[in-house]
Amino acid sequence: MSKRTMALAVVVFSLLWMAIAVPAQQAKKSSEKLVPLKIKLPKAMFIGTPMPMKLPKLEKPRGKPRPPFLVPEGTKNVALGKPVSSTDEEPVIGEIEMITDGDKEASDGSYVELGPFVQHITIDLQGEYNIYAIVIWHYHKQPRVYKDVIVQVADDPDFTKNVKILFNNDLDNTVGLGVGTDWHYVETAEGKLIDAKGVKARYVRCYSNGNTSNDLNHYIEVEVYGKPAK
Amino acid sequence: MHTDEAVHAMKFGALLEKNDYHYDPFEYHGPTLNYFTLIPAWISSAKNITQINEVTLRIVPVFFGLLLVLFLLLLKNGLSWPVVLWGGLFTAVSPAMVFYSRYYIQEMLLVAFSFAVIAAVYRYLKNNNFLWALAAGISVGLMYATKETCVIAFFSMTLAAILTGIVQEKRDRSVSHLFKNMNPRHVLAGAAAAVVVAILFYSSFFSNPRGILDSLLTFKNYVGRGTGHQAAHIYPWYYYFKILLFTRYPGRPLWSEAFIVLLALAGLLSAVLSRRKRTFDAGLHYFISFYTIIMILIYSAIPYKTPWSMLGFYHGLILLAAIGTVVIFNTIRRKVFRTAFILVLAMGSGNLLYQSVLSNYKYEADPSNPYVYAHTSMDVFKITKRVEEIASASKDGKNMIIEVICPGNDYWPLPWYLRAFPNVGWYSSVDFDSPVAPLYIASPVVEDTLLQKIYETPPPGERNLYVPLFDSYTELRPNVEIRGYVAKYLWDAYWHKQGNGQRETETEDRKIYY
Repeated sequence: MSKRTMALAVVVFSLLWMAIAVPAQQAKKSSEKLVPLKIKLPKAMFIGTPMPMKLPKLEKPRGKPRPPFLVPEGTKNVALGKPVSSTDEEPVIGEIEMITDGDKEASDGSYVELGPFVQHITIDLQGEYNIYAIVIWHYHKQPRVYKDVIVQVADDPDFTKNVKILFNNDLDNTVGLGVGTDWHYVETAEGKLIDAKGVKARYVRCYSNGNTSNDLNHYIEVEVYGKPAK
Repeated sequence: MHTDEAVHAMKFGALLEKNDYHYDPFEYHGPTLNYFTLIPAWISSAKNITQINEVTLRIVPVFFGLLLVLFLLLLKNGLSWPVVLWGGLFTAVSPAMVFYSRYYIQEMLLVAFSFAVIAAVYRYLKNNNFLWALAAGISVGLMYATKETCVIAFFSMTLAAILTGIVQEKRDRSVSHLFKNMNPRHVLAGAAAAVVVAILFYSSFFSNPRGILDSLLTFKNYVGRGTGHQAAHIYPWYYYFKILLFTRYPGRPLWSEAFIVLLALAGLLSAVLSRRKRTFDAGLHYFISFYTIIMILIYSAIPYKTPWSMLGFYHGLILLAAIGTVVIFNTIRRKVFRTAFILVLAMGSGNLLYQSVLSNYKYEADPSNPYVYAHTSMDVFKITKRVEEIASASKDGKNMIIEVICPGNDYWPLPWYLRAFPNVGWYSSVDFDSPVAPLYIASPVVEDTLLQKIYETPPPGERNLYVPLFDSYTELRPNVEIRGYVAKYLWDAYWHKQGNGQRETETEDRKIYY
């Protein structure tokens, strides 16, 4: 075979290889590129019968943030870090002190669980304050309604002097402090805002009587917005 | 669909598609509901869950609700034709019976099988025909394979039979005569039939033998639940009668089945007071009275209560109401009073029928309806429709990725309504490891965390803006809000499609990056 013939054979072979092998390689490459990303999506978990929130005078959730409330300059949360007492001295979960520790998260370790039926907590502000607003977070990990919520203030820890009820949705007087006229509400992350109208007091007491999911009582945080009384 | 219905529906889907059913001793009750649903699914040639609808499922309890009325015919000799007719009418117009006859849960099946046991045993005692013993055994097996609370009915039936036996024996020694005529072989055959039926269902027709053992172990769990060791669904003893007698919310109809309860009282009193010769079997009258009273006492004493649980004893009250109606009518001698009584019956039955229509066609999801219990809001149709609209504008169509996030997996019944979407991820909290999805449905509780994922997880330049999926406040159940979030590029695609009426799908170059 002459050199010329051999060179021709090499060229033809090379062209053939290019014609067959290169597109095959490209096809292989492009097929690799087209592999779709596989995302493993979790399946639905079965649950039991949900609890109804069937209470009279239940206000509908707004579905949007609450408008900001206005207070006199210098007003701050005067309950932060203040001592708290409770009718349930040994909570099932958490510590009573969590109610004024400034942590408003719904996660485990941020709430205190009190026993069933009527329970109350009392915050000692350690001084007289003009109170403009009280914000309560019972439990907002799931939508639920706490029953017989009553908020009252007084000048003494036994609630005998200058007692005033600021909020009461105990519609059938279960607690015995009178029939309330306020509405039930669904717990949300923004808490329940109660207008205290600048009332002067040292002690704040909050009642509840279980909720629509169970008989237990919970508190994440209670904030009392006020200024030292003049 | 109620959450419980949707859960049963999805479990049935697994049975239909993969022949997969395993009895769960902790929840969801027995297998008969699932297996009987195969019949309407086969009739409609459905092969997977997207080919079935609410009718395929709810036709099962509807069928057993109808059977409950027809089973009365088996007792025509014992109860007399007038009692059978009034009993059938009251069952057919009772709002509680009608409402739960269209609920895809086990209760109506359990009530129908319980009544079948009573009717079959009564027929057997009267004619000692082997087939009635077999029918009674099969019905016992079906009761056991339907719901764990069958043990309450078994206990009530047994105790009622003993008490009836004592009363009847004192009266005319008829009970010892009945026992003498019974054939032990028939009784054994009936018992064997009950065991075979229970084994067949609980073993998933021999594919899961463990289910047989679980059907026994489950009672430990249900005893704990029934005695109030679980905090949910705990109500006072009078809960069922409060529902039956009087429910009224402002601006809503008055709901009451006091008419039936009052007539049932008359039927009950007549069992004790009647000295005259009855037009129906006194033994059966005693049995139904004892059975109903025992069932009421047990169900009222158990702290765990759901409204549909009362159907077992309420059916007994309906039978007593029918007896009471006939007894009162027969007691009245003067024609004018008889006419007045018929008028009262017509008005009472008409009112019950009216309430049934309202509770099923106008207030079927309204919390003022006493039989509506944590029912799904009508907003679920708005949610489904909007997701379908967005999917129609997506290049992936129904294969688009959707994430649903609700703490405690409280997103039901959405898995049923979104069953046509294969790529839905169901989460109880925000998962930062999964890629950001174009559409989210989530509880407001997780909103802050979800926004953190959406806007902080993707690298800069690939963070899509998200807009609300719904135009207004949306809830899954009354006062349980649910929110939706959709990537703006997808929302724009949907919006443009709405505007010009032409099909447009989003493409990569139409994405808006922020």
